[in-house]
Amino acid sequence: MKLSSISYLTKEGIKNTWVNRLMTLASVGVLVACMVIIGLAVLISENVNVAIGNLEEQNVVMVYMKDYNWALYGKEAPKNDTASSTTSGTEATTPENTEKVDENGIKDSDYIIHNEEEAKALCKEIEKLENVEKAVFVSSEEGLESIKESMLEGQEEYFSFLDDENPMSCAAKVTMKDMGKFDETIKKIEKLSGVERIVSQSDLANTINAIKKGVGIAGVWIIAVLMVISLVIVSNTIRVTMYNRKLEIGIMKAVGATDAFVRIPFIVEGMVIGLVSAVISEVLLYFCYRVATESIIGTLGTSDIVKYGDMALILFALFAGIGIFAGVIGSAIMIGKYLKHEGSEFAAI
Amino acid sequence: MENIQQFSAVKPIIEFRGVSKTYQTGTHALEDVNIKINNGEFVFVVGSSGAGKSTFMKLIMREEKANTGKIVVNGFDLTNMKRKDVPMLRRTMGIVFQDFRLIPNMTVFDNVAFAMHVVGADGRDIRKEVSKALAKVGLGHKARALPNQLSGGEQQRVGLARALVNSPDLIIADEPTGNVDPNMSYEIVSLLTEINRKGTTILMVTHDHNLVRDFNHRVIMLDSGRIIADNVGGEI
Repeated sequence: MKLSSISYLTKEGIKNTWVNRLMTLASVGVLVACMVIIGLAVLISENVNVAIGNLEEQNVVMVYMKDYNWALYGKEAPKNDTASSTTSGTEATTPENTEKVDENGIKDSDYIIHNEEEAKALCKEIEKLENVEKAVFVSSEEGLESIKESMLEGQEEYFSFLDDENPMSCAAKVTMKDMGKFDETIKKIEKLSGVERIVSQSDLANTINAIKKGVGIAGVWIIAVLMVISLVIVSNTIRVTMYNRKLEIGIMKAVGATDAFVRIPFIVEGMVIGLVSAVISEVLLYFCYRVATESIIGTLGTSDIVKYGDMALILFALFAGIGIFAGVIGSAIMIGKYLKHEGSEFAAI
Repeated sequence: MENIQQFSAVKPIIEFRGVSKTYQTGTHALEDVNIKINNGEFVFVVGSSGAGKSTFMKLIMREEKANTGKIVVNGFDLTNMKRKDVPMLRRTMGIVFQDFRLIPNMTVFDNVAFAMHVVGADGRDIRKEVSKALAKVGLGHKARALPNQLSGGEQQRVGLARALVNSPDLIIADEPTGNVDPNMSYEIVSLLTEINRKGTTILMVTHDHNLVRDFNHRVIMLDSGRIIADNVGGEI
């Protein structure tokens, strides 16, 4: 098709929206309502995600390592009796094994993580796993401090006896990217050499997961249902326009217009309706959201609310996408049906 | 004129060979029609209501498909023509409707230009050709008028300008004088005759026997779906 034809047909399509302004207005009204609801669903879902994100950050997983302290305090009694031979507190050797045994009866092969470097290397290894956001090394001293901090005020002193004999193993504090893959990631961490046990709040993870899934599914359904409504609305407007322009279509066909030539103005009309609706929805939603957030901030005093500015572009792209999709598909379906069943009947002769 | 007729004798623009058309309702509209219309001819198609005139014209425009037989129009074999090729066939013909079929909210100029937009003509050509076509039908001065500001005869001349503007080889006119007064009828057929003299084939359906008699062209008469007369010289 020539450029001059495309320009002519585009102008015709835009003109049609004005000629059928009442129908256009009705369609824009319904489309705006649908888009605002979709926008609200997106904003609510985004806010829920932010809130969940905060929870997720707190929901860390502690991965304890098989270090010296584990061999000394956590591990079951060593299988050999080398400990008895070290009571003197000096390093000794057995005749069968030349491995050194320390004053506590622990030898190097009894544990896997021998020093901080190896512990940090394990953290790096954990970090390399898919879905692991970060794995921060926590020394046994830091671990003990953190337990003390979690105690009620004044109760820390009950643990002061541990200062000389800290039983905590070093650990990795792991944060995950997606709580949906929580169990799967835990299994992968468990398989790594040097990992002793994993302490996590799996219930919280599952709840977060369920909320996320629920919000996601509800969002998809809202968008899907409203998309269908938008399609039906635009299709009906185009149908009315088409019947209003029956004479024109008949003449077009009689003088040799191709189906594409007949279709384009209607598709342009659908697109214009969709785009105008997108712009109005964006502005309307901005004001609605501003009022709502001001009221929420005033009442709850929270500031963890998604800013409209951060979402404005995404929402406009979504609205424009829905508008154009509904416009193009709605009009294409209608004009296609019309051309197939009635459009070729110029019935003059 | 003689030259045109000599040329046309060897090249039919419309050819029906054993064409029959029965609608799904069971109506036999045409039965075993065999006819040749040569390039440059002026042909009146006459017959009473239900004689098959409409079906005859619809088959030429590929608005309907024949059940049997072969139809060739302007070099296009319509027998197995695909839907997507129909616009190309129609671009070789101009159509004049009984009820004018002008778009009421478009000016005379735009109504005529519309036919050129459809075939993808550019703006300069459209301005030039539309002015020429309007001048041909004597309406150059009414280019900016709306259809409802014109008389019936003038509206039909706009329709004629629209049919002419793409310089078709064939003009199909469906009772173009059906909605105009007798004087204007003569004027319109005179205009069509003038166009025919320049080489365009005209196929005109009419009920007006006076016109057929006075204009001395070939007449094809249909009755009950069959051609019952095919006379050159306006004799019915």
